[in-house]
Amino acid sequence: MDLSYTADEEQFRTELRDWLAANIPVEWAEAGFWRSLDDAESFRLRREWEASKTAAGFSGIQWPTEYGGRGGTPGMKAIYDEEMVRAHAPQTVNTLGLTFLAPTVMAIGTPEQKAEIIGPMLRNEVIWCQGFSEPGAGSDLAAVATRGVRDGDDYVVNGQKIWTTNAMHGDKIFTIVRTEQGSERHKGLSMMLIDMNQPGVEARPLKQMSGASEFGEVFFTDARVPVKDCLGEIGQGWRTAMLLLSFERGASGVGQYTEFRRQYDEIVEQMRRFGRSDDPVARQKLAHCLVELECLRYHAMHILTQVEQGRDLGSESSMTKLQWSETFQDLWEAFDDVLGPEASLERPRPDVDLAPFQAQAMWSRSVTIWGGSSQVQRNIVAERVLGLPR
Amino acid sequence: MFFALTDEQQAFAETVRDFVADRFDLDAVRAVVEDPDGDGHPLTLWKGLADQGALAVLVPEEHDGLGLGLLDAQVIARELGRAVAPGPWTTSVLAAEALRLAGSPAQQAAWLPGLAAGETVGTVALRGEAGSWDGRGITVDASGERLSGTASPVDYPAVAGLFVVAATDAEGAPGLYLVEAGAQGLAIRDQRTYDGTARVGAVELADTPAELLTGGTLSGGDAVAALMARGAVLTAADLVGGAREALTRTIDYDRDRKQFGVPVGSFQAIKHTMADLHVGVTMAEHAVLFAAHALDTDDPGADIAVAVAKAKAAEAAWNATGAMIQFFGGIGFTWEHEAHFFYKRARRRAPLFGSADEHRERLAVLTMD
Ligand SMILES: Cc1cc2nc3c(=O)[nH]c(=O)nc-3n(C[C@H](O)[C@H](O)[C@H](O)COP(=O)(O)OP(=O)(O)OC[C@H]3O[C@@H](n4cnc5c(N)ncnc54)[C@H](O)[C@@H]3O)c2cc1C
Repeated sequence: MDLSYTADEEQFRTELRDWLAANIPVEWAEAGFWRSLDDAESFRLRREWEASKTAAGFSGIQWPTEYGGRGGTPGMKAIYDEEMVRAHAPQTVNTLGLTFLAPTVMAIGTPEQKAEIIGPMLRNEVIWCQGFSEPGAGSDLAAVATRGVRDGDDYVVNGQKIWTTNAMHGDKIFTIVRTEQGSERHKGLSMMLIDMNQPGVEARPLKQMSGASEFGEVFFTDARVPVKDCLGEIGQGWRTAMLLLSFERGASGVGQYTEFRRQYDEIVEQMRRFGRSDDPVARQKLAHCLVELECLRYHAMHILTQVEQGRDLGSESSMTKLQWSETFQDLWEAFDDVLGPEASLERPRPDVDLAPFQAQAMWSRSVTIWGGSSQVQRNIVAERVLGLPR
Repeated sequence: MFFALTDEQQAFAETVRDFVADRFDLDAVRAVVEDPDGDGHPLTLWKGLADQGALAVLVPEEHDGLGLGLLDAQVIARELGRAVAPGPWTTSVLAAEALRLAGSPAQQAAWLPGLAAGETVGTVALRGEAGSWDGRGITVDASGERLSGTASPVDYPAVAGLFVVAATDAEGAPGLYLVEAGAQGLAIRDQRTYDGTARVGAVELADTPAELLTGGTLSGGDAVAALMARGAVLTAADLVGGAREALTRTIDYDRDRKQFGVPVGSFQAIKHTMADLHVGVTMAEHAVLFAAHALDTDDPGADIAVAVAKAKAAEAAWNATGAMIQFFGGIGFTWEHEAHFFYKRARRRAPLFGSADEHRERLAVLTMD
């Protein structure tokens, strides 16, 4: 066992920490700050800030320098995730592009796609959406019905995507489209990179249970997609999609632990404030969450080790997803166990604003649905890790 | 970052696993379970473990030990748990740890070589009936170097040659004392446990001559706490080993067992339970590794790590061994089947060195108060 980072990695931490300290206004760390802005303003601020971070060389940590990345190690990426949380850095606006699309383009994109996509994404000049889910295709992604028909040098796309994160801010959307008419399931699909700023594409917001509209619907009505904007081979969209989704693996447990552990500490602070810290049942419930949180941290170190050793994580990432998402949800259920009726009040006292807490509590319901629901993850663990029959 | 066992540690684990599988299979375990009047201490196993260095693992090299850490020791504990192996390994290793941490050079020289070689069996007696495991549960009193009171439950007292007893002195200060088998006023009362892979008794002391462990790195309450922490981690490792084996056996069975014309393992109710158990046991494995490493390196977070490991391991072991009975169906509830070895061992060991509830309360103290 050696849980330390290398000297180079620690040097990187120092540089990043200094930059973050100098470039994040103090008020951004205040609990209600981001909620006090309207959605568009918040998005604009985050978009600009992130671009300045890229200019300073603190984006694409693990990406090769030829793509504008930093060429760093997996350890540096873990440090980056941790320090971003520590510094109360704003949430990235281009998550889906950065996590999924960019590494896929680096792996199988054409030289033109690499040049056109990665730089502008890092600078937040182009915001990317993920167009996978449809009304009839959620967990069962192979049921997609959106179709594309060849017309000269273009495909003409018709259909609908749903639950599209950032639909109202997106410039482009990587989309699974059925390009072979009459094909079924995994066959005849293609991954298309569709310009959302055209008459054939319409995005409409959907209001979430929290009241916010982070996701929406995207309608394609004779939308045009040049053939050169297909990622991977035509008809091989399923393979491209699976490659793309595999980049969620190794997603930073270190950063997630840091974030959730801070939330735990914030809940403890409220527990004390409301005189509930000597309630034995509340103590047990919250301590149970700490057990799971600490396990998430150890698991993150285990995963980082696997990545550094060059091992393929395979279906193990389903365990990571289950551990973090179920723990996060439990933590925010414990919030209510700990505070009792006060937990549901925005202002239980004039000087106490619990709205940011409630926002997390509501958001926690979504994490066991997106990115492969908990049920789907359990199927994967049972069938592919444990070898139980289908 | 290297959060894993080294190749040598993995090889060590395999050696112990192969040895136990070869020399002490479930039939041999059954023989011990079905002979409750026997001492539960098969010498073939014990001598073999001694030959492997399994008893010398934590003993310093100058006392004929291997001088390794808790990370190496948990490897052995896990394999013994996996094999539901009987015998006083955990408790004897802990007695040696008490000497290493709190004993004087002379005390260490007197006892450690014998414990490392397996010639002496040691055991620890750290709390009394209904007492907690945090040092407040000590029920033996020391008057100078004479002890009175009852410690219970104690693992393998009948075969022990050396007892490490926690006692409080006239000022109320806790400390660790050595008592030799056969000492005046020492009586052992067999308590019988449903876990046939262990033998347990109460250790009754009446003005029994003892020797305070003193002159080592730790003393008093610190020594007691350090020993408790090590006991918690080694017990957690045993629980995790048993949990993993119970889960593996259940999955193997449910892959083949057919009902309604299909393998029962194809039913989603079983799949999802197995998936959750697998995640839980895996997390417990990580937690034990981390806690052992934290103690080995005096990590400032060791208190939290130990509590997390023991709480998580106890829960994972209850769940996985209970599920073993459930998902074997009727056969799993029979005496002939091995499920009850795993289940009873987990159930008995879960509260040792602090139950999951006690360790969660410890976490509450560390982070909420
Ligand atoms: C906040 C949020 C953001 C999202 N962002 C995006 C995005 O940007 N782009 C995008 O493409 N999609 C996005 N999604 C969609 C998300 O990927 C889907 O919601 C998810 O895949 C589930 O699909 P569904 O909603 O159709 O539910 P369904 O698949 O209909 O599932 C309904 C229920 O059945 C269960 N279930 C389904 N199949 C099985 C099975 N085989 N065994 C057992 N149980 C099963 C599910 O777990 C669920 O509980 C987002 C969703 C949310 C909540």
